[in-house]
Amino acid sequence: MGASDGAKYAYIVARVRAMKGKLIPKDMYPKFLNMEIPEITRFIGESEYKKDVDELGKKYRGTDLFEHALNQNLALTYRKLIEVSQNEANFLITEYLRSFDIWNIKTILRGKISGASEEEILEDVVSAGQLRYRDLTELVKIGTVEGIIGALSGTPYYPALEGYKGDLAEIENALDKRYYAKRIEAATKTGNRLFLKFLRTEIDLKNLKMLFRMKRAGMEREDTLKNLIPGGMELKESDLGRLASMSFSEFVRALEEYSYWKAISDISGELTSLIHIETRLDKYGLMYASQISYYYPLSILPVLDYIVSKKIEVDNLRIIVRGKETKLPEDVIKAHLVM
Amino acid sequence: MVDPTQAGMVAVGAGLAVGLAGIGAGLGEQAIGAAAVGAMAEDEKFFGKGLLMTVIPESIVIFGLVVALILLFVF
Repeated sequence: MGASDGAKYAYIVARVRAMKGKLIPKDMYPKFLNMEIPEITRFIGESEYKKDVDELGKKYRGTDLFEHALNQNLALTYRKLIEVSQNEANFLITEYLRSFDIWNIKTILRGKISGASEEEILEDVVSAGQLRYRDLTELVKIGTVEGIIGALSGTPYYPALEGYKGDLAEIENALDKRYYAKRIEAATKTGNRLFLKFLRTEIDLKNLKMLFRMKRAGMEREDTLKNLIPGGMELKESDLGRLASMSFSEFVRALEEYSYWKAISDISGELTSLIHIETRLDKYGLMYASQISYYYPLSILPVLDYIVSKKIEVDNLRIIVRGKETKLPEDVIKAHLVM
Repeated sequence: MVDPTQAGMVAVGAGLAVGLAGIGAGLGEQAIGAAAVGAMAEDEKFFGKGLLMTVIPESIVIFGLVVALILLFVF
């Protein structure tokens, strides 16, 4: 790595490292579990989320305020990363954050199909991708799924959506596959191997979660394979085909060959709980992002590490508040937290 | 009495010592300066540390300057 290679990432990396230092420390989460919702909201209102809580405080109350403030902060933080980065870093961050476009399109379509109100759908969108909040609001106002898909016709997501024939799961899958295929294409184009490695590990973790879910549901090999995303790091297409045809117990044993096993090995006796497995895999993803960002300090990886850490912070806070609101026992909430 | 050509070469050497050391320090400071400004943009408290880190490669220029002075006044 030459001096100029280092210099081009130095600014954005120093900035995200400083931003990461401001994230809520993980020892705060157990304390949140002992607090009431107003106390947590007050704490959040005095932290990095202050501006968002103050701004939205006039419009929303209670957990709605919390939810909107978290989403707005997440979107603005990610947008800031796009604005303060340049050249290759800017391109890769923009490409990576397109996952939020996918998330938003899925949320809107799911909301429309389940008959949720416009307000309820907007509560869950995060305008961190290329589709702005204004665009998303316009999409939510459209009454039908077909209308929404038609409105997205000028976007890169349309090819995955145009085949919609009433099966939402099918286009959701197509969206995910297209997202990763396009990101791998972008990473290959820039020649950034680290970004590619990160992306392919993310695909593996996503496929593993999907495999666990589908094995639990007892799905057939062909149906399972349709839902998996090609391009993983360790779980190549041949591995996916092999794993998809196994029974649940065989599948668990076969996982011992892969490095991801260490993420779930400590709960290998109780692999029946999907919550535990998915939380462990998310934790593995978080640890992996953090570790490799230290191996390659002047690269895109510290930025991706921050993106993952920030998303997990927001998810954890949301889990705590929603869990408390629905009066879930403390240990159940704790089992969902990634820390 | 120093030969004028030799004196000229000494002066060129002194110039190169300072000039090349300056270019080297500049290249070194490129990434450090960018990182310092990035950290400071997020948190002003990094000003002191950032400034300190940025000037560390400057020591190379001092070595260059010392070599130049030796060339000009001792050699």
